[in-house]
Amino acid sequence: MRVDPNQYTSVNAAIQQTEQSLGTAMNQLSSGKRVSAPSDDPLAFAADVQSLAASANVDRYTRNADAVITQAQMADSALSSVVTSLTRAVSLGTEGGDGTLTTDQRAVLAQQVQGLLANVLTQANLTSNGTALFAGTASTTTPFVADTTAASGYAYQGNSDSNQAQVGDGLAVTVNIPGDSIFTSSSGNVLGSLQGMVTALQSGSTSDIADATAAVSSAISHVGQVRVLYGNTVNQLNAENDYLSQETISLTSQQQSLVSMDTATAATNLTQAQTAENAVLAMAAKVLPTSLLNYLQN
Amino acid sequence: MVGLNSTLTLASGALSADSGALAITNNNIANVNTTGYSRQIVNLSADALDSAGTSQDNGVSFGGFTSVRDAVLQLGIQQKTSDAGSLNAQSALWSQIETGFSSTSSGLGSSLSNLFSAFSGLSTTPGDDAARQSALSSASNLVDAFHQAAATLSSAQTQADAGVSATVAQINQLSKEIAGLDGQLSTLAASGQDGGSAQDGGSIQDQRDTLTAQLAQLTGLSSTSTQSTPSLSTANGSPLVIGQTAFALQVSQGADGKTHIFDSQGQDITASLTGGSLGGALTMRDSSIPQLSTTLDGFASQFAAAMNTAQTTGYDANGSPGQAMFNLPSLSTDGTGAAAGITLALTSTSALAISSDGTAGNSGNVANLLAVQTQALSSGQNPTDTYASFVETIGNGSASVTGNLNATQSALTQLTTQQASESGVSIDEETTNLLRYQQAYTAAAKVISTINSLYTTLMNMSSAA
Repeated sequence: MRVDPNQYTSVNAAIQQTEQSLGTAMNQLSSGKRVSAPSDDPLAFAADVQSLAASANVDRYTRNADAVITQAQMADSALSSVVTSLTRAVSLGTEGGDGTLTTDQRAVLAQQVQGLLANVLTQANLTSNGTALFAGTASTTTPFVADTTAASGYAYQGNSDSNQAQVGDGLAVTVNIPGDSIFTSSSGNVLGSLQGMVTALQSGSTSDIADATAAVSSAISHVGQVRVLYGNTVNQLNAENDYLSQETISLTSQQQSLVSMDTATAATNLTQAQTAENAVLAMAAKVLPTSLLNYLQN
Repeated sequence: MVGLNSTLTLASGALSADSGALAITNNNIANVNTTGYSRQIVNLSADALDSAGTSQDNGVSFGGFTSVRDAVLQLGIQQKTSDAGSLNAQSALWSQIETGFSSTSSGLGSSLSNLFSAFSGLSTTPGDDAARQSALSSASNLVDAFHQAAATLSSAQTQADAGVSATVAQINQLSKEIAGLDGQLSTLAASGQDGGSAQDGGSIQDQRDTLTAQLAQLTGLSSTSTQSTPSLSTANGSPLVIGQTAFALQVSQGADGKTHIFDSQGQDITASLTGGSLGGALTMRDSSIPQLSTTLDGFASQFAAAMNTAQTTGYDANGSPGQAMFNLPSLSTDGTGAAAGITLALTSTSALAISSDGTAGNSGNVANLLAVQTQALSSGQNPTDTYASFVETIGNGSASVTGNLNATQSALTQLTTQQASESGVSIDEETTNLLRYQQAYTAAAKVISTINSLYTTLMNMSSAA
């Protein structure tokens, strides 16, 4: 059978082919990517798009969790200072319950409790970046203002709503606890009990003072319960953050396995391509100069 | 009884046959690198009878040459050339489209994620202006990403369209040249001067084959040549060359803004042209790219509708009911032009409907806005999956065209090699032939000189007597 006498075409094609695989191997090795365009592996590319979207979700869950943790910690430290004030008020109340005290001495105590009340009010009206922590979702209002018509002496201007933040697929946590359920709750009225204590100390009635002291004590235990809620939220979010960072790792490794080139394979491919290139060039050097004319010259 | 004279005639016949053979060998060597040249083999035959039809062993007769070519193989090559031309054109456009969707750190996919991240951030800080600004910016970025995706598709489509007129002009030029060659071939055949053999057009036929292959590169062909009237038409049967007449295709801009192609009768054949770079460009322009555009437009309009619905369930920062987030161009029902025409309707950060009850600090509507990410659009998939399968469609389209192109090209290479092994000029072979005819020539000359010396002997013998 007659063979294709023109070796140049096929040698050229062979050289081009090996150069192409050399180029591909070098690209994959330098970029570290097996899939850099959709057509390199359509399924893997699409899966990578989905996995990246999942990663972005995990990122935003993490950011939300961090934001909620920050707010919860801020609220908790405010409440911790509230508890300190309340505890101090209880001891002042106990002191004021002593029947031997003079009216002036009680007035001094009342003044001190008044000071504590002002402290607590500051905490209750605490804002972060212009957002009131304890106003429910009416976060631009000042939650508690003095109001003589109110039972506690303070009117709540916020609302009883709370915001939710998504911290996982189908998992949302409560961002804030409305101020009325903390500071003017029926199960422990912080502001009301302190105001009551001031009134009782000013009145001088030891039985009123004893009642007021008991009311402040129950406010302490109520605030304690609220702090447990914040603590639980923080614990839950820390656990969720651990899970999310695990999730990030597994998503990243998923993306790696979808589109990344294993370095060992890439290096092997490169070596193979180099060998093929060398072989083709050596072949060309041997084949192309051969002609009958070379042997007929003399 | 053979006389010295007739031997001399025989020898001179051999000389001229050998020099003819040398000329053909020379021609083969001269054309060793000529594209499309088919090697010619020498036709020699032993003269069995003299002109009177009586005597035998009358030497050799030179019958010109025969070009070695395989018509069936040529048709196969023509077909594969058309396929490769079409796939090449498609592959170039696919990879251009693909580049627009290759990035995973920018573009539609990441813009979608960024939008939802920004809205999600508002769930803890609904009143924060910076967070609201970032949500508004990411919505505007998403609009840009839709525009860019649409532009990638439409620029590929424009590019496919732009080549059509030039390609048709090239086709017409080639048809004209082929018709001209057909004229020369028929003149040759009529005069019997076609290189010595009535059936062979020699290098003119080679040129015609080369031009036909070039034409096949541009559009799919169907050749229905009979010997008397060779004819070429496009794959769908519109005539290009019949006999020695070329039929030019016409182009004009259609009402749809695309270039349409008409045959010589003025019939619109745009939809029926296949094969070649023209067919490839038309396939992309009229089928592949419109399909992608429809998907993208559907995605844009459904996503915008879903976000608008979510936005209108909430209240903006001023406590007013939320307004649509995106404006879509006035659409026909299938959403045509949505991706290119989508705009951000909201102009200020306060217009984002984050609140579910009108309270400024409420972020209850964020859940509704974020739900768009996981809820199925009317296409049946959620936005992320819709985008992922859109990109997968692009990847598959590109990969399958490239795969077909590679397969077609190896088939074409194989056929071309096969053709070259039949028709290609081998220097070694021609060198051998050169030596062979040279020696035959030398031998025939030797015969003449021998007869000459015989005559001399005879003459000398006569003069001596």
